[in-house]
Amino acid sequence: MTNLDIIMVIVRVSISAFVPLCFLAVCVTMERRVAGFIQDRSGPNRAGICGIRAGGLVQNLADGLKLAFKEDIISEHVEHKFLYVLAPIISMAAAIISFALVPFADTLVLDGKSYVMQGIPWDTGILWFLAITGFSVYGIILAGWSSTNKYSLLGALRSASQVISYEIPMGLAVISLLIVYGSINLSDIARFQGQTWLGFIPMWGILLQPLAAVIFIVAAFAECNRTPFDLAEGESELVAGFHLEYSAMKFAVFFMGEYVAMFASSAVIVTLFFGGYNIPFFDTDFLIRNIKPVAFVLLVILPVFMFYFAKWIRRNNRSQYLRENDPRKAEATIYIRCFWILIAIIEVFLLAILAFAQPDTAAAHLLVALMQICTFLIKVTLMLFVYVWVRWTIPRFRYDQLQMLGWQKLLPLALLNIFVTGAIVVALG
Amino acid sequence: MAAKVKQLPSRGGTPAEKVYLIEIFKGMAITLKHFLRNLWDNSNLYVRHYPEVQPDIPARWRGRHRLLTHPDGTPKCVACFMCQTNCPADCIMIKAGTRIDGVTEKMPVSFTIDLAECIYCGYCVEACPEDAIRMDTGIYAFTSSNREEMKIGMTEMLSLKGGFPEEEYQKGLEGE
Amino acid sequence: MYIDTLFSIFALIAIAGSLGLVLFRHPMQSALCLAVTMISLAGIYALLSAKLIFLLQLIVYAGAVMAMIVFIIMFLNLREKDLPEERERFTYLIGGAVLLIPVAWFMIKVMKSIPGVKNSIVGNGFGSIKELGQVLFTNWLVPFEIISLLLLVTLVGAVVLAGIRRESND
Repeated sequence: MTNLDIIMVIVRVSISAFVPLCFLAVCVTMERRVAGFIQDRSGPNRAGICGIRAGGLVQNLADGLKLAFKEDIISEHVEHKFLYVLAPIISMAAAIISFALVPFADTLVLDGKSYVMQGIPWDTGILWFLAITGFSVYGIILAGWSSTNKYSLLGALRSASQVISYEIPMGLAVISLLIVYGSINLSDIARFQGQTWLGFIPMWGILLQPLAAVIFIVAAFAECNRTPFDLAEGESELVAGFHLEYSAMKFAVFFMGEYVAMFASSAVIVTLFFGGYNIPFFDTDFLIRNIKPVAFVLLVILPVFMFYFAKWIRRNNRSQYLRENDPRKAEATIYIRCFWILIAIIEVFLLAILAFAQPDTAAAHLLVALMQICTFLIKVTLMLFVYVWVRWTIPRFRYDQLQMLGWQKLLPLALLNIFVTGAIVVALG
Repeated sequence: MAAKVKQLPSRGGTPAEKVYLIEIFKGMAITLKHFLRNLWDNSNLYVRHYPEVQPDIPARWRGRHRLLTHPDGTPKCVACFMCQTNCPADCIMIKAGTRIDGVTEKMPVSFTIDLAECIYCGYCVEACPEDAIRMDTGIYAFTSSNREEMKIGMTEMLSLKGGFPEEEYQKGLEGE
Repeated sequence: MYIDTLFSIFALIAIAGSLGLVLFRHPMQSALCLAVTMISLAGIYALLSAKLIFLLQLIVYAGAVMAMIVFIIMFLNLREKDLPEERERFTYLIGGAVLLIPVAWFMIKVMKSIPGVKNSIVGNGFGSIKELGQVLFTNWLVPFEIISLLLLVTLVGAVVLAGIRRESND
């Protein structure tokens, strides 16, 4: 192994392990702010360090600190303390590992060697995701059962049976996708979606397999225990569901596990149906061959985007009431300066690439990989937004409706989809 | 007044509604509209920026209690125990004593209200025959780090001023 | 070397898990031990570069079957007081172990009679989904279909049985 190999291993593993964790902050902030905006209120906007509120991000820090320093209670009546402690660990670990096989950029070629941009460079892709999400059931069951609490038990019962029954339509939806893509490797799947059809329509999974997309996304919502399928924690009936007895950091680990699972499943949805890391209409080869025009376009677009972004910050980051020397305006100036500095650094790099880099060199490959990582993360963020958006729109299902939907609607539809897809693929040769 | 009954047509029967997804997308369009409007410009939020912008308190608002005084500064209270008897939360504790200023026979030696127990129902105000206690200070936020500080005594209540002009307060009483 | 170490670790965990399955008193703990065994067996399959079997072991056995068992144990909500008293548990255990000695001896014999083959990674595509699928759907098509029929029969049977019981209850 050369030094480069080792660096690449570290980079890939740390991206796939820490990006989901960093996105926790994005998820939680987005959940709160989007919920606020959807309901015409503002969401958390007060917590700040020296007046820097970072759009509500500091609130997460405050909550995290609170949870970390809270007393960690294990009730007297918990008989199996080991399993009780194990449960949040399982749900968090399963959530993080399930992201390991999702590619976040096209295979990176450096010094003539190619590196698959996944946490674990393995070709079993989507099956791994299905296998690992299956494990999250253990966390739920153990938490609910070892808490020795009727609400926890009922919550775990609902949650586990929901996860188990929605795994089936999910797996079947995946099968019809696999017939189309001809591979279970998520890298292959993402590369397949980089092609275009008739020259201008990207061959994304959602266009090739709309029914499978609907089934998979609905099942993914159910797997993550998100509204409209969050019966496991139906507050009005079950107080909090399976993590009712957990306090402080153990609860926080459950909470974080839920959001990491959400991140992982939106990453998988993006990879399967929304072109993965592909920038629409531009495949990797095209970008690498035309690195100079691409760098030039970025060079122009970024300041323009930043100009309007700064205007947006100015407009919204001010006190909405009469106030002398509004400190929020000063705060907005700080944000805008930080962003401009960031943009300036990027511009310098882009200029360097524009001046010196030749097509098909390491620099070009790196730039394209970075662009693809950004595209992937933007797409995942949009998918996470859909999760939040659905949560604050749709009321909860009743439990029988939930099982009815899973077994009587999604399952037959998924089976039908497999037959139709198979027939079409065979007919088209 | 007879209850108004409005018959709403039952929804969910048509095939388009049975598919459910279409209706979900309609609902999501509404929430997205709200979200985008507020993201674009957050000055239209239906929010009071509370500690900086205080709400308008009407004169009928039942806030913290105060004890009223005669023009010469002596308390109006005659320690008749009406309010204490009437209090559903048992939060008023009065100790009666002989009046020293000669206006009436009795006056309270101590008059304590435990605000942690008070439910702000206003029965004490209604029960008072001397108009000696009112809840018109307009103070609605009262916090403390321990229970003892939640008990307020006679001197404190006597020193509080009404938050509203007299005629506005009287108008509020008429409305009741 | 590296693979040998991993193999020993997985094997030890698998044996520990199965021991736990027998020795633990509470069914939930036993079931979880079985799950641990299943997962470490999956690890051993992965070492044999049988990717599909590894994933199926994880999805079907460690994921679905064990989750179902654990789910049912949770459903029964057994507490310490509900468990039967097993006074002569260890006598039975030791008796069983003694009875198994001839079988174990026989197994060791069989193992030793297998000619030593160097366990290196087998050629390209071995155990991958495509190769396995091709073999399964050409050479072993009839057994595969028969097994799937068997599963279908059990599935239908389960549904029918559940239906009958519900009708009689109503």
